Amino acid sequence: MVDERGWLDDREFAELIGLCQVLPGPNVVNLSVIIGARCQGLAGSAIALTAILFIPVGVMLLIAVFYASLAHDVLARNAIAGASAAAAGLILGTALRLLIQTKPPFRGMLAGGAAFVLVGVLQWPLLWVIPALICIAVAAEWHAARATKPADRK
Amino acid sequence: MSTSVIAEIAIRFSALSLVAIGGINAILPEIHRVVVDVEGWMTSAEFAELFALAQLAPGPNAMIVALIGWKVAGVAGAVVATLAVCGPSSVACYVAWQWADRLQQSKLRVVIQRALAPVAIGLIMASGYTIARAADHTPGAVALTVLATAALAFTRLNPMWVLLAAAAAGMGGLA
Repeated sequence: MVDERGWLDDREFAELIGLCQVLPGPNVVNLSVIIGARCQGLAGSAIALTAILFIPVGVMLLIAVFYASLAHDVLARNAIAGASAAAAGLILGTALRLLIQTKPPFRGMLAGGAAFVLVGVLQWPLLWVIPALICIAVAAEWHAARATKPADRK
Repeated sequence: MSTSVIAEIAIRFSALSLVAIGGINAILPEIHRVVVDVEGWMTSAEFAELFALAQLAPGPNAMIVALIGWKVAGVAGAVVATLAVCGPSSVACYVAWQWADRLQQSKLRVVIQRALAPVAIGLIMASGYTIARAADHTPGAVALTVLATAALAFTRLNPMWVLLAAAAAGMGGLA
């Protein structure tokens, strides 16, 4: 997008990614909605959304059918067992890398830790946990932002 | 029967769409809970397999949702699940973009962004833990999970190679 078409410059692209990460929903999908909207308004968004989803879903279905036909093949089952163990690691690794990169303050670690325990370990319903946790986290961050101003950092 | 299942998919996934802070990887534990524990549409191991398959395929990581829809209700299920999980958040995104300039400068946005980042990391970690619990039944599988975690966190290896290497290890009877 940036290099070939010049629809956006690098700075705009980075800003949009930042915006997409705050918004709920798949990041790539959100990004395409915004890029579509910049170029062509609502119609552009709709077209970009269709394009980014249509082909992957088609490919995915082909793979799914292929996989279903291999469901009783021992070698294929073993391969997918290995891949799914690694897939879990890829997600854990992503989270770990984000943690190292962002180095959240103590209140952030608390909020993230609560999200992990409530959703991952206790398996509480996300639709209750997330709104509550977000309210608490935003309130804590807001309080911290106000507190640091007069007192400054230690 | 099948229409009610598709309606169920549409309702469940469109609600989740709006709490997917940090992308699809943040709502995997909830999808797992609903699909495996509440609805009983598949086993935990099948869920982990579909997830691995979605990682191997090209496209946004939302494709796991298409696969679940397909497993539960065929092609119609795949299409409905994908649209449901992308629809509400896309509308929210479009609306937010209209205010993007004001949002860029707003102090509240900075605060919200700072507050959400660690929550999203916690949720992604919860997703990894959910998949690991579903996928790891042998010491070999646990070792593969640990190796993949380290590879992604501390090296610049392409995740695809990690997945393929693990698949090969699995074929060799290691998982």
